[in-house]
Amino acid sequence: MGRKKKKQMKPWCWYCNRDFDDEKILIQHQKAKHFKCHICHKKLYTGPGLAIHCMQVHKETIDSVPNAIPGRTDIELEIYGMEGIPEKDMQERRRTLEQKSQESQKKKGGNQDDSDEDDDDEAGPSTQQVAAVPPQAAPMAQPGMHPVAGAPGMPHGGYQGMPPMMPGVPPMMHGMPPAMHGMPPGMMPMGGMMPPMMPGMPGIPPGMPPHLAPRPGMPHMAPVPSAGPMPSRPAVPSAQPAVTKPLFPSAAQAQQNAPGVTASNNAASASEPPKATFPAYTQPSVSSSNSSNPASSTVAKPPATVTSKPATLTTTSATSKLIHPDEDISLEEMKSQLPRYQRLIPRPGQAHVAAPPVATVGGIMPPQQGIPPQQPGMRHPMHGQYGAPPQGMPGYMPGGMPPYGQGPPMVPPFQGGPPMGMRPPVMSPAGRY
Amino acid sequence: MSLFGTTSGFGAATTGVFGSTTTDSHNPMKDVEVTSPPDDSISCLAFSPPTMPGNFLIGGSWANDVRCWEVQDNGQTVPKAQQMHTGPVLDACWSDDGSKVFTASCDKTAKMWDLNSNQAMQIAQHDGPIKAIHWIKAPNYSCIMTGSWDKTLKFWDTRSPNPMMSLQMPERCYCADVVYPMAVVATAERGLIVYQLENQPSEFRRIDSPLKHQHRCVAIFKDKQNKPTGFALGSIEGRVAIHYINPPNPAKDNFTFKCHRSNGTNTTTPQDIYAVNAISFHPVHGTLATVGSDGRFSFWDKDARTKLKTSEQLDQPITACCFNHNGNIFAYASSYDWSKGHEYYNPQKKNYIFLRNAAEELKPRNKK
Repeated sequence: MGRKKKKQMKPWCWYCNRDFDDEKILIQHQKAKHFKCHICHKKLYTGPGLAIHCMQVHKETIDSVPNAIPGRTDIELEIYGMEGIPEKDMQERRRTLEQKSQESQKKKGGNQDDSDEDDDDEAGPSTQQVAAVPPQAAPMAQPGMHPVAGAPGMPHGGYQGMPPMMPGVPPMMHGMPPAMHGMPPGMMPMGGMMPPMMPGMPGIPPGMPPHLAPRPGMPHMAPVPSAGPMPSRPAVPSAQPAVTKPLFPSAAQAQQNAPGVTASNNAASASEPPKATFPAYTQPSVSSSNSSNPASSTVAKPPATVTSKPATLTTTSATSKLIHPDEDISLEEMKSQLPRYQRLIPRPGQAHVAAPPVATVGGIMPPQQGIPPQQPGMRHPMHGQYGAPPQGMPGYMPGGMPPYGQGPPMVPPFQGGPPMGMRPPVMSPAGRY
Repeated sequence: MSLFGTTSGFGAATTGVFGSTTTDSHNPMKDVEVTSPPDDSISCLAFSPPTMPGNFLIGGSWANDVRCWEVQDNGQTVPKAQQMHTGPVLDACWSDDGSKVFTASCDKTAKMWDLNSNQAMQIAQHDGPIKAIHWIKAPNYSCIMTGSWDKTLKFWDTRSPNPMMSLQMPERCYCADVVYPMAVVATAERGLIVYQLENQPSEFRRIDSPLKHQHRCVAIFKDKQNKPTGFALGSIEGRVAIHYINPPNPAKDNFTFKCHRSNGTNTTTPQDIYAVNAISFHPVHGTLATVGSDGRFSFWDKDARTKLKTSEQLDQPITACCFNHNGNIFAYASSYDWSKGHEYYNPQKKNYIFLRNAAEELKPRNKK
C-alpha cells in the first residue's frame, strides 16, 4: 500500500498525532480536519491540494495546515493517510509509542466534538469515545479538588523565595542552551545540571541542594534553582519569546492559523510573553495543562474566526453566522459605551435612597446617631493578616428593623462610615448615590 | 414548597393573573412571570442561600437598580425592595448567611446592601466597571471578590476602603465563579485563570482556553463529594466547554459541546450561532442549564453528555439564569443583550424574569 510499510503501527495522523484504528478512518479524518477548505468546506485529498484549491478558487493563500500541531503544519508535504510521513517522524512516533505503552493505552482521546460529525445541539463527543464515556464519568468525579488542594500547598511553600525567578522558569526548561552563552547547545538542563552551570555560575551548584529540598515532587523544577541567582536572569527574558511557543501550542497555533489576519500574529507575539510566565506560577501542574492543549488544539475552528487584538471577529463563514457584533469586546462593554449609560447619574426612581446625605459625606462621620456603641463589628474574625481591619468598626446595621420597604430614611446610608474618616476619599470620586 | 415541588401547579398561575396567555412569544414556556421586573436589561439573577428561610430573588439591571423579590411557595412573587447604583448593575451575589446582598456596577463601585435595614454602602472601588462580584467564605476569612474591566481582581474586607488583596489579570474580567476553595475567572482575549482560595486567594493556574471564541460565562461544578472539580465555560460562539481541573485523562474527560444554534447542519441556510449568556448548575443534580442569545434555555447532563431539554424560543435573548438553593426553581431573564448591536435595541420592550419548576426536568439521565 504505497511506498512505506505500516511498520505494525496503528495508523496515526501526522498533522495532529491522533491514533486511528484503520487507515480509512485516518484518511477521512485528514480530509475532514486538515484538508478541508475553511471557505467552502470542500474536502481535498492532500495538503498541497488544499493550497492549490484555495489559490485557484478563492484566490487565497494558506501557509499552514488547519488543525495541525506546531511543527506539523507544513502545507507542502504531501501526506495521505500514512503515506508521505517523513521517516524521522515515524521513528519519533515509534519511540513515543514505546514509552507510552508503559503508561496508559489510549493516548489520544480527542473528545472535542468534530464539527462535521456531530449534530447540532448535542453534547456529542466523537463517536469513538462514546463507549468510553460512562466508565470514565465515575472515576472523573473523584479527584475533585483534593490533588489540587495538595498542589497549591506545595508551590506556595516554595514560591516565597521563588517569585523573582518566575519569568525565567519556562525558558530555562527548554531554552537553557540559548540563554547560556557558550554552552554546548546539546546540553539538556534536566540531566546535566552541574556541568553547564559551572562556567557561567560558579556560585550556584552549591546553592542548588537547598533549593531542591523543598520541592521533591517537582522534577521539572530541577533546573530552576540554578537559574535563580542574578547572572542568569538578564539572559532569560530575551530567550522568552523564542522558547515559550512550545508550551502553548494551542495559543500559538491559533494565532498562526489566521492567514488573513496578519495583525493577529503581531498580537500573538505581544501577548505570548505574558502567557509564558504563567507556567512558572503553576509549575507542578504545567504537565496537566499541557496535556490538555493537544485536545483543545484539535478543536481549532476554521482560522477565519480566531479573535485577535485588533478587536474584530469574523462573524460569518459559508455555513454559519455568529450572531454577535463585529467588535471583539463583550456585549456589556458595547452597551455600556452608549451615552445613556455613561452618565452615571441617579436615575428617576431613586427617590430617597440617599441622595441628600451624600453631599455631607464629610460631615456624616461625627453624628453617628448612636450607632458605634452597638457595633460588635466582627462578623468574621479577621486575624489581621489582611492589613488589620479596624476593630469595632460598624460595618452594617444589625437586624431588628422592619424588614423591607423603600428605606425609611432615618439612617443615612453611610452608616458604617469609619470614625477614622477613611471613607470620604474613596467615596467622593464615585459620585453621588 | 408545595407548588414548586410539583409540576401541576403552574397552570393556575398563567390564567389571567399575569395578563395575556395567548401565543405571544414573550413567554412560550408559560412560566411564572415575576412581577415588577426591571425597566432595562437584566444582567444578573441570584437566589438567596439556604441559610435564609424562603426564597428571595435579586436581579440587577441596566436601569441602575437591584431589585429583591420574595418568591412564595404558591408561585407568587412579591417585590420587596430595591437599591440603586449610579450606573448599570452588572453582577450581584448574596452573603452566605443571606443577610447581605453585594452588587457590582458600571459606576466602578460595589455595594453591600443590608436587607434588614435596607441600607447599602460602598465597599469596593475599581478603576473600571466591576463585572463580577462573589462572596468568599473561608474558614479563616471572609471577603468579597470583585473582577473588573480594569484588569484587576480585588478582594475586600467589607469594613475597609482598601482592598485586602489585589491581583493583576492579563485582561478585563468577563465572568467569574467561586465555589470555595476554587475560583475561576475568564477574561477578554480568551484568558482563563483558576485561583485557589485556601488560606488566602492566590493564582493557581492559567489555563489555555478550550474555546476559540470570546469567553462569556463560567460556572464551577462539584464532584460527588461536593468539592469543586471543574467548570463549564461558555463563549459567544454557541459552545460550552466542560473542563476539569485535574482529570485522570484530560483528553477524554474534558470536552465541548455546541448549543444555542439555529437550524441543523443539513439545511442550506447558514446556521446562526448565538452567544451563551449564562450557565448555572443545579445544586442537587449537578446537571446544568445554559441560556443564550437565541432566546432559549437548555438543560444538559454533562456526565451522560446529553441534552435534557431545550425550551421554545422566546422573542428576546435570555440574559441571566440561576437556580434556587434546593434546585426547585429555575429563574431566567428575558431581555436584550446587544447581540445584534444597537439597531435592535428597543427601550420600550418589556423585560421579563420567569420562574420555572426545575425539580423534574433537571434530573440526570441514567447512564447506560
